Amino acid sequence: MHALLLLNSLEGFFFGSGKAHVVTGVALTILAGLAFAMWRMDRRLSRLEEENANPPS
Amino acid sequence: MAATQHTLRTAATIARMEWRLEWRQGHQLAAVGLFAVASVYVAFQASDQRTSASAWTAMLWLVHLFSGFTAIGRLFDRERSQVRRYLQWTAAPLGLMLGKLFHAVITTTALTGIVLGAFVLFLGWPVGIESPGKPGLLILGAWLGGLSMTTTLVFVSAVASQVRGGSGALGAVLGLPLLIPQLILATRLSRGALGDEPWTMLVEYPLFLGALGAGTATIACILFPYIWRE
Amino acid sequence: MKGGWNWIWKGSSIALLAYVILRGFSTPLQPGLVSATPSQLTLEEHTLTLLAVGQPFARENAQASDFELVLRSGDQLLATVLTDVQPHAATAKVRIPSTLPSRALDAFLFTPDAGTLFLGNACFVEDAAKGDIPTEFRAQAPAEAAPKLGFSFPYQPNIMESIRNLLWHVPMWFAMFFIMGLGFVASLAQLRTDSVKWDLRAEAAVRTGVIFGLLGLTTGSLWARWTWGAWWVSDPQLNGALVTVLLYSGYLILRAALGEDDRVGRLAAVYNVFAFVMLVILLMVLPRYTESLHPGKDGNPGFNSYDLDNSLRAVFYPAVIGWGALCYWMYTLRLRMNRIAYSLLSR
Repeated sequence: MHALLLLNSLEGFFFGSGKAHVVTGVALTILAGLAFAMWRMDRRLSRLEEENANPPS
Repeated sequence: MAATQHTLRTAATIARMEWRLEWRQGHQLAAVGLFAVASVYVAFQASDQRTSASAWTAMLWLVHLFSGFTAIGRLFDRERSQVRRYLQWTAAPLGLMLGKLFHAVITTTALTGIVLGAFVLFLGWPVGIESPGKPGLLILGAWLGGLSMTTTLVFVSAVASQVRGGSGALGAVLGLPLLIPQLILATRLSRGALGDEPWTMLVEYPLFLGALGAGTATIACILFPYIWRE
Repeated sequence: MKGGWNWIWKGSSIALLAYVILRGFSTPLQPGLVSATPSQLTLEEHTLTLLAVGQPFARENAQASDFELVLRSGDQLLATVLTDVQPHAATAKVRIPSTLPSRALDAFLFTPDAGTLFLGNACFVEDAAKGDIPTEFRAQAPAEAAPKLGFSFPYQPNIMESIRNLLWHVPMWFAMFFIMGLGFVASLAQLRTDSVKWDLRAEAAVRTGVIFGLLGLTTGSLWARWTWGAWWVSDPQLNGALVTVLLYSGYLILRAALGEDDRVGRLAAVYNVFAFVMLVILLMVLPRYTESLHPGKDGNPGFNSYDLDNSLRAVFYPAVIGWGALCYWMYTLRLRMNRIAYSLLSR
């Protein structure tokens, strides 16, 4: 493992230290945040569309 | 048939008008020439009279590029004013575009001669090159590169001239990214033409440049009527 | 915008992307050899150490006799004796003969469970004369065992673990192409009908497309740093990508400059049609005719040369669909915003 870490930092890092889980976690958190923001915006737009009687299609 | 004739007649008239105005109000043509020669002289002084082949081509194309901007960027300036209203009633849009393109081609040809001539006069050839390997290809490349830049710039300045109260800066902002591919091809061609690379390695560059120029000119012609309509 | 179907496809895009992230980062890489030391050999006996990345190719207490390492010179095989096998390393003794067909040696490591591992140009023999390998040094090609690796991503030299970027970079460009194509169609329709509803669509599409173009550039730059060693290189495909993003930024600048002008829709449409034609020329035509480092230059400038294997496909296709749907969702949000703004302003 140590030899690999010296040889090639990313390779050693990725499967050597178990940090892949951290990467996965961060990526999933960002995705969840994005999904939530877009969902909220979607809801808000639906409400505005209703208030706004007849938007041009 | 009548429409085609009308278009062609418009094109000829516009080209003739541009040409005459260019000579009567000589200051504009002179301004472009002055800009080109002065830029070359700046390049000459800045380079300390010793340039590598890559620096030489880089400066050549920077000067060519910005001279092109000054020459073509004002092509539709006259149509900002009352002349526009008159032309909208009398001229066929496609004919107007063809006339402008024709005029731009003439201007670019002259500009290529001025820039390249002044460049060789002041800077000479790059260090280590007694004379260019393929002078014909160097001239052809400068001309074709200039043409393919010009056709794009004609389109961009046509769009930019529609912005009310806009300045020439918008044309430069919109035009510069569009010119990167042409400049990449043109600089490679010029570098190759200076050195000893065989013809067969370089033959694709003039073809690409010509195709890009013809392609952008065609799209500009197709789209211009939509820009022109009120 | 009510209705179950709406939430189904939006939720599915997020679920697909969650699957892609989980699968993409937890799937192990197949083992691959990365180096042999010493790499410069002389005409004597050497102890050669090979290092591998990815999944271990051997168990913790594996027997060296179950493995076989041969070196290839030209079309002839040179025998070695494996002395030690670790999960990610193998050590072998090798005697170099005085004559070799080629000075460059390729290594083949035959394993019982992980298939055959290959390292091209593993070592060089400086002072070998040209000639056949003497028979006492030769090896017979051992029988290849089918790999039993389970679900894993293929190993590619240089790319290695960064192959996971395939699930981000490529689908993001696909999404950009898709949404820009939509914008192109909307702009054509705008020119034909001169109706504002198409202009609202085109604006939304370009704005979303620019975001995905920037994401594609960022992920591509990261990948280039890793595989080619620089954040940016001069390459037809990369130049085209950068120019495309700049071009579409120009579209947004033009709209801003036109402001309240009532011709904004038509002029923007004209520019957008021009921009899309340039995009097709720059990203799909020019790179195929010029030298390019970017994979897939002959034919599809996407991913042909990666020869996607089945495990990668099982994640890549969901990624394409997921990113595409997310991109389309973003586009609809922007479009609805545009419509509301338009109807409020024109009241």
